[in-house]
Amino acid sequence: MANRDVSLSVWQGHVHAIVGENGAGKSTLMKILYGMQRPDEGEIRVNGTAVTFRTPGDAIAAGIGMVHQHFMLADNLTVLENVVLGSEPRKGGVALDFGAARKKIIQISDSYGLGLDPDVTVEDLGVGARQRVEILKVLYRGARILILDEPTAVLVPHEVEELFANLRELVREGLTIIFISHKLDEVLSVADAITVIRRGTTVASVVPKDVTARQLAELMVGSELPSPETRESTVTDVVAVSVRGLSVQSPEGRSIVDGVDFDIRKGEVLGIAGVEGNGQAELVEAVMGMRVAGGEIRLGEHDISAWPTLRRREAGIGYIPEDRHRQGLLLEAPLWENRILGHQTRRPNVRGFWIDRAGARKDTQRIVEEYDVRTPGIDVDASALSGGNQQKLIIGREMSGDPVFLIASHPTRGVDVGAQAAIWDHLRAARAAGLAVLLISADLDELIGLSDTLKVLLRGRIVADVDPRNVTPEQLGSAMTGAGEAA
Amino acid sequence: MSGPAKSTFADRLLGRVRLRGPVVLVAPILAIVFAGLITSIVLLITGDPPLDTLLLMVEYGTRPRSIVLTLNSATYYYLSALAVAIGFRMNLFNIGVDGQYRLAALVAAAVGGAVTLPAPLHVALIIFVAMVVGAGWASIAGLLKVRRGVSEVISTIMLNAIATALGAWLLNKDRFAVEVSGSNNIGTKPIGASGQVPGLELIPGTTSKVFGLIILAIAMGILYHVLINKTRFGFDLRATGRSESAAVASGVNVKRMVLIAMMLSGAMAGLVGMPQLLGASYSYSLDFPTGLGFIGIAIALLGRNNPVGIAFGALLWAFLDTSSNILQLHEISPDIVQIMQGTIVLSVIVAYELVHRYQISAGQRRVSRQLASATPTQAEGASA
Repeated sequence: MANRDVSLSVWQGHVHAIVGENGAGKSTLMKILYGMQRPDEGEIRVNGTAVTFRTPGDAIAAGIGMVHQHFMLADNLTVLENVVLGSEPRKGGVALDFGAARKKIIQISDSYGLGLDPDVTVEDLGVGARQRVEILKVLYRGARILILDEPTAVLVPHEVEELFANLRELVREGLTIIFISHKLDEVLSVADAITVIRRGTTVASVVPKDVTARQLAELMVGSELPSPETRESTVTDVVAVSVRGLSVQSPEGRSIVDGVDFDIRKGEVLGIAGVEGNGQAELVEAVMGMRVAGGEIRLGEHDISAWPTLRRREAGIGYIPEDRHRQGLLLEAPLWENRILGHQTRRPNVRGFWIDRAGARKDTQRIVEEYDVRTPGIDVDASALSGGNQQKLIIGREMSGDPVFLIASHPTRGVDVGAQAAIWDHLRAARAAGLAVLLISADLDELIGLSDTLKVLLRGRIVADVDPRNVTPEQLGSAMTGAGEAA
Repeated sequence: MSGPAKSTFADRLLGRVRLRGPVVLVAPILAIVFAGLITSIVLLITGDPPLDTLLLMVEYGTRPRSIVLTLNSATYYYLSALAVAIGFRMNLFNIGVDGQYRLAALVAAAVGGAVTLPAPLHVALIIFVAMVVGAGWASIAGLLKVRRGVSEVISTIMLNAIATALGAWLLNKDRFAVEVSGSNNIGTKPIGASGQVPGLELIPGTTSKVFGLIILAIAMGILYHVLINKTRFGFDLRATGRSESAAVASGVNVKRMVLIAMMLSGAMAGLVGMPQLLGASYSYSLDFPTGLGFIGIAIALLGRNNPVGIAFGALLWAFLDTSSNILQLHEISPDIVQIMQGTIVLSVIVAYELVHRYQISAGQRRVSRQLASATPTQAEGASA
């Protein structure tokens, strides 16, 4: 369930921000508002009238327009052509009336200060201007309520300023804007009202002048969550994993991970904090051998830098991937086949060349019982389980076969509170069993609570070492943005 | 998001998603009935009596001699569909089976005609050459995909055209070809008796014989099943087809898998021409059957890449082909059968898709219900 009991009232002429962590259910809510997904229950009212949206077309007819995070523009067409695409003005039945469209576009562009020339091709425009074309597109279709899905994710700071100026212009003209973001400073600067979503439900509606970024962050993360604290230290002085000068470059030659060093000892959890997109995913993939990387990675005695992924796994690396649907599971395969995934060269799943069906099934049953995976059986497809149960299955699988090093990438993302507590227990048990654990998370409480050592990753570099025993989420948060000094 | 990601239509189309229960039978039967209806409408439009025409086809198609013809065509259709299915199981569209089998048959026929060996060795050599040539030709597309990222759809289609040209160049009296006696046809030097595979008298009531290599086709079906479902290699292949990103994370070397799967598909394609070559024509000449690779694509879709399903698909396709022979005698266009074949493929795909959608939502509801009744107080449950 991605959304439940969501209530949201947006005033006309407001910029209304919806904030929440990744996976909190913001996008699902927006899809419902824009008719891309239908709610199981509940009601949407626009200007007091109840509406049901079956398709985005219905939403557009009700005056709701959506500006997607990823632009949907044809590069080789002009602004004018892109804007009219799909709702071309007709003249005499068949001919296109570009003249009228051009007039209307210029008029919209001028009255809202968008500054767009209808005859420029889109490929000649910058990112900020392309976004304004997207906005123009929905205005052209008569939208009075605009939904902007993480509009600043693709913009550089001065473009963000321009966008906010445009948004203020739009609300001044009486339009309404729903603005989705998880960047709190931006939200506080532009929004007239804020709704916080956590775990699929609305937890608070606040006004910017009444809250600080810190309070908003607490609302987003939820301070009443079970604490991920670890008790006494189990850290030994045996180094299990050692990484030196790890570097990853993008295909264009840009540095994504830049000279990262760390050691993880047996029984130690090393947490990596960082705003998403600062190289965490690439770092993990480099350690797993899924991505070409420079530098040295040692696992115990061995230099594994040149090993393929399979050999690294066989050597005892367990991997809880960040995106379990894409990387952790075969959704349309039964649980017992998912037990084999990533362990397809090891007992009890295989015997030489052959799949050991009986062995794999028996061990899947063991995982289901030991890790409390709630399922009617091991023959149901992985897609039928909830996120939390899928994740418990993955953890059970990755803890099989005597791992020495566990990589846990956002292990509790998108799972409910009950499963979250169970997953934390399993990670603590792994640590107590002497595993070296690399924990990547966007949940600061989780990072601080579980980690023995914390490092902050910013633009691909480790910029700070933090002691998790005496750091607050706020201090960590400012270290992550490179703004302040870490404790 | 805890909502499960859905399989794509392509996944289901290519049988990477399992179907269970009666749907496996109900969907194709409905589809055939539907195709029969469409064909009847077309027959009505052309002014032929639908029921009589269909009965005529059934009557002719079930004669002993027709059954032999059906089994023989089904043999190479089956091999062709298996070749396509190997690729489909891991998301590779080997459109090049056609070129692969023609080139393989030509080279194998030339080699077979040039040597004389004890019978089993001679046959084995010809088959081996065909598999190597098929795999080699397919590996070009595999290498292009792995090294240069060229879509195998494009490269195999282009390689088909190149195979045709290369075949025409090789089948020349300066190279592999000799004149076929008693005609103005040319072909490779006929394969001697030691390289021929005798037919089997399986069907009583006719002197026509079924291709001996039907046994090879059956063996390949079993091998395909075992390889895909029972081995580590097959698991890696299916995992790659279902989710390439998950396969990579699990340690599968996807590039290597692409190349191997392409070559296996090509080796299987190499076998497609063998029943005809070793069981009937003994030489590759200008009138060697063409287009079998494309029929294989349709049959692989029809059989959802399942070895038994493909067998039924191949038999059905071959039966329709054979029974269409009678139509011309009654001045009905045999093209009607092609309309029927096309409609069957389309309606089978639609029928499977409809039933699959129903099954997925029913399955998720069932899991939620079972969990809800088992653990009524728990917040944790299956996603709806």
